[in-house]
Amino acid sequence: MGSKNIVQVFNKLDDLKLVFNYGQKIIPIIQNLIDFMRETVPLLENINNSISESTSKIPKASHKINDVTHATELATTEILDMVDNISGEISKLEKTYDGKFNEMKSIFTAEELEGAKESIKKIKDYSNNITLSLQVQDITAQQLAAVNHLIESVQKKLGELINDIEDADLDKIDRMNLELDEKITFDPNASYIKKDDHQKVADMIMDSNNLSSQEEVDKLFCK
Amino acid sequence: MKKVILVVEDSPTIRKFVAFAMLSHGYSVIPASDGMEALEKLPNEKIDLIITDLNMPNIDGLELVRTIRNSSEFKDIPIIILTSLSGQNEVEAGLHAGANSYLIKPFDPKRVVYEVAKYLN
Repeated sequence: MGSKNIVQVFNKLDDLKLVFNYGQKIIPIIQNLIDFMRETVPLLENINNSISESTSKIPKASHKINDVTHATELATTEILDMVDNISGEISKLEKTYDGKFNEMKSIFTAEELEGAKESIKKIKDYSNNITLSLQVQDITAQQLAAVNHLIESVQKKLGELINDIEDADLDKIDRMNLELDEKITFDPNASYIKKDDHQKVADMIMDSNNLSSQEEVDKLFCK
Repeated sequence: MKKVILVVEDSPTIRKFVAFAMLSHGYSVIPASDGMEALEKLPNEKIDLIITDLNMPNIDGLELVRTIRNSSEFKDIPIIILTSLSGQNEVEAGLHAGANSYLIKPFDPKRVVYEVAKYLN
């Protein structure tokens, strides 16, 4: 071994010494990293458990929303049936009024008869307004369906996350399926705000030469 | 003889609203819960006019309108779209599909009756 080689060995030894020195400096950092991971693992497990728990609760929330939709649908149908009955009775009353008008003229004053006629008309208008307001059920049903759709998407993503984190029990995730009714369709932007502007635009697009104005509609119904 | 209106709507409440308005003005109503059911009922009944929603399962309203307009037997039946979709593109799609009127929910029953009378009386 020549002196050149010995110099190279010493150089290598110096390099090794530097590595050891660097190692001594880095060991505390690695130790800190290990401590940090020790503390983080339970936290991650907590997060994972929370995600699992939340995911398992989502189908229940979704079913509750469906229950609300069905309950309001039932109630609305019942109210509409009642309005239908009221309208039927009012129509009968109107026919009787018209049929007995001449006889009533000898009993009641013209003012009283006019008042009765006006009352019948008002009741019919109120009935019409009730049916108009009850349409809020359909609009809210569509909004709730949109929320359910969103919940389904979140549940799906959370399910995938659980699967990625812990090689989750796939059966467990399958059991969490929402079993949403795929036949439900909805407009996520459905709104109960009555905007004549939208209808006017639609009318213009559909037939600019044969526009059905509100005045024409009112005229037909003698408003 | 009473004119017959096919009401195509997946919402039971709206179906009832429309039927309520039509029956009280002397029309007869046949309900269908989606486009597919409507197409099944169409050959079996003498339909004078169709009122249809757009958002429906199986066959939606636009597809229903197109199918009817492409049929030699039913192409002349007046069609009124009744929907919560109020965007200009959606109205234009309804027009291009072949609808005669486009009404936006929430709707005034009087306006629906007016549109029906326009085509039937």
